[in-house]
Order: sequence, then C-alpha cells, then structure tokens
Amino acid sequence: MHEMSVAMEIARIAEQKLGAQASMLCTVAVEVGDDSGLEPSSLEFCLDVVFRTPPFTGAKPEILRRAGNVLQVAYLEIDDGCPDD
Amino acid sequence: MAVRTIEVRERVMARNDELAGGVRRRLADAGIVALNLVSSPGAGKTYLLEKTLAALGEELDIAVVTGDVQTQNDADRLARHTTRLVQAVVTGGACHLDALQVNTALDAIDLTRTRLLFIENVGNLVCPASWDLGELCKVVLFTVTEGEDKPLKYPKMFQNAKYAVLTKTDLLPYVPFDVALAKVNARAVNPALEFFEVSATNGSGMEAWFAFLRGLVASGATV
Repeated sequence: MHEMSVAMEIARIAEQKLGAQASMLCTVAVEVGDDSGLEPSSLEFCLDVVFRTPPFTGAKPEILRRAGNVLQVAYLEIDDGCPDD
Repeated sequence: MAVRTIEVRERVMARNDELAGGVRRRLADAGIVALNLVSSPGAGKTYLLEKTLAALGEELDIAVVTGDVQTQNDADRLARHTTRLVQAVVTGGACHLDALQVNTALDAIDLTRTRLLFIENVGNLVCPASWDLGELCKVVLFTVTEGEDKPLKYPKMFQNAKYAVLTKTDLLPYVPFDVALAKVNARAVNPALEFFEVSATNGSGMEAWFAFLRGLVASGATV
C-alpha cells in the first residue's frame, strides 16, 4: 500500500547518487525481502512510473526477490551513450 | 552504448530511520515517553485517547500528534479533552506517518511541559509497521468486532508492537469473538506481546491501562 512512498524514496536515493547523470539511468535494481511488507509487482509498477518522471527518462526497475525483510537499492545502471570500449 | 553499473547497497528506509533517531534523541533529551498507536481503521484509537486525555491529560502532561489521510476530525475530538494543542497531520493520501512529519509536529509542541506523547498513526494494519517514528514502542489496538486471526493476517504489525490493547470489550456478549484464541494468535507471532483488555465505553480495564501509563512515565523510559 505504501509502495509509491518507497518508490519516491528510491528515486531520491538515485538522484542523490547520480546528480547530473540521472537522465542516463537505464536500470534501477532493488532488493525486496519477502518480509519487507511490500508487494513486489506493485513496487515495480510504482518505480516504472516514478522513473519516467524528470530528471529520469524511463529507467527500468529490476526487482530482486530476497528472503527476510531487506529493502535496499542494490545497484544502478547508467548508459552514457558512448560507444562500447 | 556503454552501460556502467554503480553499486549502491543503500537501505531504502535509511533516511526515515535517521530522522527517527533524531526524534528519539529529542524526546530523550526532554524526558518524554512516546507511544505510537497503530490499528486498523475504527479499532478505537481516538476514543481510547479521548478517555485517556480526560483522565490523565493534566496528571501526566500528555501531548498528542494525530495522523489521518484527510480531515482533522480526530484532532478536533481530542482537543475537547485537553487544553493542550493537538497536532493534526493530514497525510493527503499517504497510508502512514513518517519520522519527518513527527519531527515537524514536535516543533509546535511545548516539550518542556510534556511527559507523555501519543502518536496516533493512520488507521492501517500494514504500512505503519514499516515506519519508525522515534517512539519508545508501538501499541497495537484491535477490537472484538475484528476476527481473532488479525495477528496472523497482519503479523508484521503485531511483531513490531510491544503492547496490544483489545478494545470494545463491552461488545463481547454480542459478537462471536474468542479472546483466548485472539491472544494465542497474537503470541504466535510475538510471544512477548503484553495485553490490555479495555472498554473505553463502560470503563472496564481502563484502570489497568492508566496504571500502566503512570508506571511508564514514572520509570522515565524514553529509549
């Protein structure tokens, strides 16, 4: 029920980490424990909406199911638009 | 295109927990005991608080922060039983209070003349369990018109609470509610849970609740 609050906090964390690179974010990976009190599919929906909103440009959420009550941002992926090395 | 991975490993609730730590320090410095009242909507949080304020408001210097999705009806009801300011937090859709809201609400409360703070959370047996508000502990209310299996259906709330108050016991003759079974279910998810059984309507069990609050304030347990 509070997935949108959580999604917005995840967006705040991502923006803080990325600064001016926020628009390059392409994946946001979140570890969600079975006892975290969150519905993973609902969180995924909320993240999808939140990360379409500026400064983000449509990053895809990736929910990593875990045991226990963990709830953390695992990693972010950014696409800098440059050719591969 | 070149995709780069940035390790984060940051708990989503970290910021709220940090703010809650700040609230806890603020309350401890002022010597205030804070209880976070949680329950489903309609379990009787406001009515229990009305009776508690009327009986102990002056004696224990009680202040109240009350949260609702909309309206300040609860704050208006509580204000009739105290000369103190009752802080209403309208969450505007959010299903729980968070530590930032409580910290802001405390700014308007005279902490120097407060010994007991009630935070009446939004009526909801799911979400408020996840938010630390800086309270001493959570007190979960549930009522005889709900099912005995509520603790099994909403285990996180009952696990995170230290005390449970069974409310509306004056209705027991009219509803098929098994008190013993409800306690068994609650203790199945939290063996340490301590129970009160009250009727704020006919006063049954209220003296035990008041004695508990007096003892808590006298003990000065703020953390």
